[in-house]
Amino acid sequence: MKKVVMYTLSTCPWCMRAKKFFREHDIPFEYTDYDKADDETKRAIKEDCLEHGSEMSFPFVKIGDEVVVGYNPEKYAKLLEL
Amino acid sequence: MNTEKRKGQLKKMFSKVVDPLGYKFSSDEELVDFLLEQEVNIEKEKGSPFCPCQGLTGEREHDMKLVCPCIPFHREHYDAMKRCWCGLYVHKNVEDPDNLMQISLQEFLESKNRK
Amino acid sequence: MEKYPFFCDLTGVYMNREKRWIFAIKEDEMADGDKKPLLLEGEKVLLLRKDGDFFAISNKCPHMECPLSKGTLEGHVIKCPCHDWRFDIRSGEFLDAKEIKVPFYETSIMEGSVFVNVEGAGK
Ligand code: FES
Repeated sequence: MKKVVMYTLSTCPWCMRAKKFFREHDIPFEYTDYDKADDETKRAIKEDCLEHGSEMSFPFVKIGDEVVVGYNPEKYAKLLEL
Repeated sequence: MNTEKRKGQLKKMFSKVVDPLGYKFSSDEELVDFLLEQEVNIEKEKGSPFCPCQGLTGEREHDMKLVCPCIPFHREHYDAMKRCWCGLYVHKNVEDPDNLMQISLQEFLESKNRK
Repeated sequence: MEKYPFFCDLTGVYMNREKRWIFAIKEDEMADGDKKPLLLEGEKVLLLRKDGDFFAISNKCPHMECPLSKGTLEGHVIKCPCHDWRFDIRSGEFLDAKEIKVPFYETSIMEGSVFVNVEGAGK
């Protein structure tokens, strides 16, 4: 199973929907709320986002080596071969 | 100030801003209410109603472009999605906001360059 | 700017068809680059002097109504103090989306006095 790691915001409904998607499909995932993170974590997340051409738009979802920016259940399912 | 009242004020002010840009509030009332509530809380904490779905960096030039409505600073990208990133606003002719997808900036730029 | 667009009625308000010219300030009370917030007929107006010309716009930012008088003027561009939206004082246009405008008013100078047409907002 590919590992799922997410950067999210505690204020963002699409981040909540993404979490719900993985929960409903019984996919374990890790997430960090960027807005609640300490400065060092924030910096690391920012770098990661910018590297992937995302202007800090959330949710930022890593599935294995692939990145999906935004709430996109079809893409999540495809990458996880659901 | 009480949250409900401030939500109403923001809604009124922002309707006037987005109208000439060809946008309106989404018809998904639950989503709109949730997002406005986040904005009011963010405003209380940070001084401005920043977008609840995009990250602040602490650099003024970056962050000020994320104060709601941030459409003017992301016009082409949002026009391509017919919605703003968080979905608070949609193009005026959108009846069913559920069909509108978030398209990442990178994807948008790639598809633009292909044209 | 029109030169003598009005006639005087007995109330001190200068009239000309749909225009309503209200006395704003003496010309020599403002230096180049100055900003002056005024209350004209109940309207919050910001008067600016730039390169010898006078410009009048609403003092309320179209974004969230912050007072533009507290912003910074560079060339003909005023930047709102709250979230840095920038407007051209010659047209009222928001530089990042021209469809959004801060209402602006005509100005006119007569015998050392500056008048603002308060009927003309946004036109
Ligand atoms: S109130 Fe002027 S830029 Fe926001």
